[in-house]
Amino acid sequence: MKTPLVSHRSFVDAPLIGILIAVVVLMAILSPVRFLSPLNLESMAYQLPMLALLSLGMMISMLTGGINLAIVSAANLTGIVTALTLKLLTGGDSASASVAITLVAMAAGLMSALAAGALMGFLVAYLEVPAILATLGAMTLIDGINVVLTRGYTLSDFPGMLLAIGNGAILGVPAPFVMLIVVVLALHVLLARTRFGFDLYMIGSNLTAARYSNIDTRAVLMRQYLLSAAFSALTGFVMMGQFNSVKSNYAQSYLLVSVLACFLGGVDPFGGVGRLSGMVLAVVILQAISSGVNLMRVDPFFVTAMWGAMILALIAINHFSGRWRRSARLAEVARTLGVEQRPPPVGER
Amino acid sequence: MTDDLLRLSNIDKRFAGVHALKGVDFSLRSGEVRCLVGENGSGKSTLIKIISGVVRPNEGEIWVAGEKVSNPTANEMIRRGVHVIYQDLSLFPNLTVAENIAMPHVAESGKVLIDWSNINATARQAMARINAKIDADAVVGELPVGLQQMVAICRALTGDVKLLILDEPTASLTKVEIDQLLNVVADMKSRGISIIFITHKLDEVLKVADTVTGLRDGSIVGTFERSALDNDKLVEIVTGGPVDQSRFRLAKRERKKLLEVRNLTKRFNFADVSFDLYEGEILGIAGVIGSGRSELAIALFGVDPADRGSIVVDGRERRIASVQDSVEAGFACVPENRLTQGLALKRSVADNLIAAAIESCVGPFRLIDRNHRDALIAKWIASLSIKANDPQVAVETLSGGNQQRVVIGKWLATAPKIFILDGPTVGVDIAAKSSIHQIVRSLAAEGAGVILISDEVPELIRNTNRILLMRSGRIQGEIESDAVTSDELQRMVEAA
Amino acid sequence: MKSLLNRSEFYLALLILLLCVVIGSLNPHFFALQNILGFLKTSSVNGILAVGVLFVLILGGTPDVSFTAIAQVVEYVVVLATLRWGGDIAVGFFIACALGAALGAVNGFLIHYFRVTTIIVTIATFNVYYGLLYVMTGGGVIFVVPRFFKDFGEYLILPTTDASGGVFGLSLLTVLWAGALALGWFILRRTFLGRSILAMGGNEIAAERLGIRTFWVRMFVFAFVGLLSGVAAIAHTAIVLSAIPNSIVGKELEVIAAVVLGGASLFGGKGTITGTLLGVLLFAVLRNGLVLLNISSYWYDVAIGIAITVGVSFSAFQQLRSRRSKVNVIVAQAA
Repeated sequence: MKTPLVSHRSFVDAPLIGILIAVVVLMAILSPVRFLSPLNLESMAYQLPMLALLSLGMMISMLTGGINLAIVSAANLTGIVTALTLKLLTGGDSASASVAITLVAMAAGLMSALAAGALMGFLVAYLEVPAILATLGAMTLIDGINVVLTRGYTLSDFPGMLLAIGNGAILGVPAPFVMLIVVVLALHVLLARTRFGFDLYMIGSNLTAARYSNIDTRAVLMRQYLLSAAFSALTGFVMMGQFNSVKSNYAQSYLLVSVLACFLGGVDPFGGVGRLSGMVLAVVILQAISSGVNLMRVDPFFVTAMWGAMILALIAINHFSGRWRRSARLAEVARTLGVEQRPPPVGER
Repeated sequence: MTDDLLRLSNIDKRFAGVHALKGVDFSLRSGEVRCLVGENGSGKSTLIKIISGVVRPNEGEIWVAGEKVSNPTANEMIRRGVHVIYQDLSLFPNLTVAENIAMPHVAESGKVLIDWSNINATARQAMARINAKIDADAVVGELPVGLQQMVAICRALTGDVKLLILDEPTASLTKVEIDQLLNVVADMKSRGISIIFITHKLDEVLKVADTVTGLRDGSIVGTFERSALDNDKLVEIVTGGPVDQSRFRLAKRERKKLLEVRNLTKRFNFADVSFDLYEGEILGIAGVIGSGRSELAIALFGVDPADRGSIVVDGRERRIASVQDSVEAGFACVPENRLTQGLALKRSVADNLIAAAIESCVGPFRLIDRNHRDALIAKWIASLSIKANDPQVAVETLSGGNQQRVVIGKWLATAPKIFILDGPTVGVDIAAKSSIHQIVRSLAAEGAGVILISDEVPELIRNTNRILLMRSGRIQGEIESDAVTSDELQRMVEAA
Repeated sequence: MKSLLNRSEFYLALLILLLCVVIGSLNPHFFALQNILGFLKTSSVNGILAVGVLFVLILGGTPDVSFTAIAQVVEYVVVLATLRWGGDIAVGFFIACALGAALGAVNGFLIHYFRVTTIIVTIATFNVYYGLLYVMTGGGVIFVVPRFFKDFGEYLILPTTDASGGVFGLSLLTVLWAGALALGWFILRRTFLGRSILAMGGNEIAAERLGIRTFWVRMFVFAFVGLLSGVAAIAHTAIVLSAIPNSIVGKELEVIAAVVLGGASLFGGKGTITGTLLGVLLFAVLRNGLVLLNISSYWYDVAIGIAITVGVSFSAFQQLRSRRSKVNVIVAQAA
């Protein structure tokens, strides 16, 4: 009998299915003909991957109790570097780039995202900077670099291969959606079945104990942020394909939504808890809501206000159900049981 | 009864599967200095937290100065004159000495504006009372621990104190500072202030106590007059006498040297530590907290490596700069704090057991071979008799003894050459202690070298063949375990 | 003298001086009084906001990022209200302070009650406030604002006429900024409330144990940030004489970077008014310099990012170093 590698109790998996059904039903009622139409479903399938990739990248960083505020900035960076490289290699006529040149440019874009990931990884793993602050710094730095690189302009006109990634279809299924499925499956294997996944969850549960258990926490944390940045890169490519342009400040509202997706999907911001199944459901739910309100011509700014309100609501729910406070409570138990400790110097938080 | 300053009746407290206090009764008169003694995990800290109002008991009542306290919160108890100097000192590291000392006074006065001259005066007054020479403008976070402790004590003296609780106050103080502290205690006593003094340095107990209360395993053993006590009796109160009289006997055979440590030094932690460890032996390290013994263990294990010195394992010189280096050299470590260092409480027993050995279950593509993993887990659960119905339950639900077995089991799976155990039976009830001792002895019997660090002198004597005495960061001596009695060793450990 | 050298503010002041010298030597117009008074006026908005940010950082933990949204909302409300119902600058300030404090208080309540880090809650409230602003106003720009804004913004103390007939002097806005700094200093240094903020930043548990009412202190801090955001909004309107929805929003990180550079720790418990002033001045000089030297202002954004990253790394590095050298054992001398 195969036991699951990582055992943990997650937030709400069954209820998420219920929420999904409820949302779909609600949206269908509000936009009777159009919500469930094949056109809309197809459109959702094209839009979902962007949201999903960013949310998964965010989830990866939350598993160890961290966060990646630079996730969108790194995606933009990828797009910008790729676009600039294309321009450079084709002498200005990016749309005519061959597959080989496109791949080279994409590699450059990926490298830039990984560099960002390495910076964040270094700050968090080796300088022990809290992830929120490290990625805040990285986010502003990358945003600044993005602006400098583009001088505020939009770069556009990309070769067919990139457009295919964003808008193409494989056997009738949207290409980005196919890519997403492959990525999700790979991520599942990585998290549930490999040493790296095991280490991630252990570090998220107790960093000190993980260190004492011969887990190379620094190396794992570094790899974690590199992986998270890779997701940013993938998102960047999809964005290039779908918008056929890149700018320094695209998709900024997605940062908020990816955090929301993680909370909804049952990821504990203190680390150690989070299932891919919950994430997938959460992302689908949010996409359904997004498409649904779009069909109703709701003001997009109202939508961002709504996302903000939803995060607050989720925080409240988690507070009242006491789930997130388990970590804080466990630390208190350890202290109170009075297992003897030398008095720590007061300067230590 | 009526001149009791403090009275607790039938206090009961449980958390996370541990029954910390079992129906405890406790009372104290004005001007009485009571020492509270007991092993780690006996319930001392919990009792103190209940008296100070930080923790609410599940059952029981508290009376202060004859009045029942219906709502024993921290603020309420402070209001009634109960002050605690916590082990963590509870100071503000970013503020000055003067401000830290005067803060409770300022908070209570309710004034909106700050009068800095008043603050400085209050601080100077309090420092004068115990003759503390500290720069009032120094930032507390930058002071050494001993001075920080003085600041904490000065702070308690600014209010209307009826009962002062000191939780292991001398752990990081120099001899001079300790004497100063004991004088302060005597001074406060003469002014009618009651003191509860928690310490496990038995010579301090004999110096300062009027009465002594012993706690063991969540229950009060008894309260005794100082005059009726001596060192032997104290040891007996604390340990409850040996349950298991058996002793570890070293198998006599040709043994090879497993570990040779020479001049291991780490600034602010220990200096010039040198010793040898042979196959099959259990080497004890005795010393109080602040002696550097746990710091030594951490350095050998690579968590906080030494600055210089040599470590030779099995004839090979090893550079240990990380846990990975240490494990590769053949070390394993059961750390001092099981809950914060030894286990990931939220995770299952299975995950914790396999954590150190997981690499051996990794196959192609870094995928984990689940069958191999499950087999290993099952083997160690059986071999160590870990009582868990289902390996998937969270390890926090296990008893202390079983939790410790999980930590040990985690390392057995890596077949280490050298096992370092720091306080392996802390917070484990008496019955489980001896079975853990059996496990430790069997480790040695199977050829590993074991280093056993412990606070408990009887534990060291019964389970080791040699003991190193560590004090102030240095090895002060070495003795054969069967050449010394408990009391003698206790005295040697306590000696300043 | 030694204690002066130890303070990071000293080095910051040196850096500013250095920057001034460099810029001034490349473009002497930098030193013109007119220029200096000019950028002191325009940076008063950031300066006022910075005082609020300082308080939040001292209280502990991650920064508040919603204060610009609060300012933006207040700006619109005040302009629309006074356009509709008339009023003067006093009325404007009143509405700004009250509304700003209220919006800030919401943050304080949510953060304390749910015990979630400030930045996550304020990312959410930022979007709620900003989103709703857009929805209610349709994102429209208001090009005509009541006259009193102009009067307030252009009022000069000690007006002087220069050679070409232009008038310049000390702006009321700069005075307003100075007032905010003075108020911040007074609270932090002279009131128990201020000391409580510092105490909570240093060790919140100890503060609670002492009976400090952490809930109310927190509520005050966030209401204060909101209030200052409101004041900054008025100052901003007085300068730009319009209401544009993303004119203040977007400055959050710039202000936070200035405060961090000024020595406030992102871990809490540390920070001074002097440092905040210097931090804002540094960025103001930098910006002014970029304009005078005709360098692309995009580098300004990079500078902000570098400032935050360096500030964060530096604090962490210091913490790491102090942990490495903590005295665990008082090691005896060799026998």
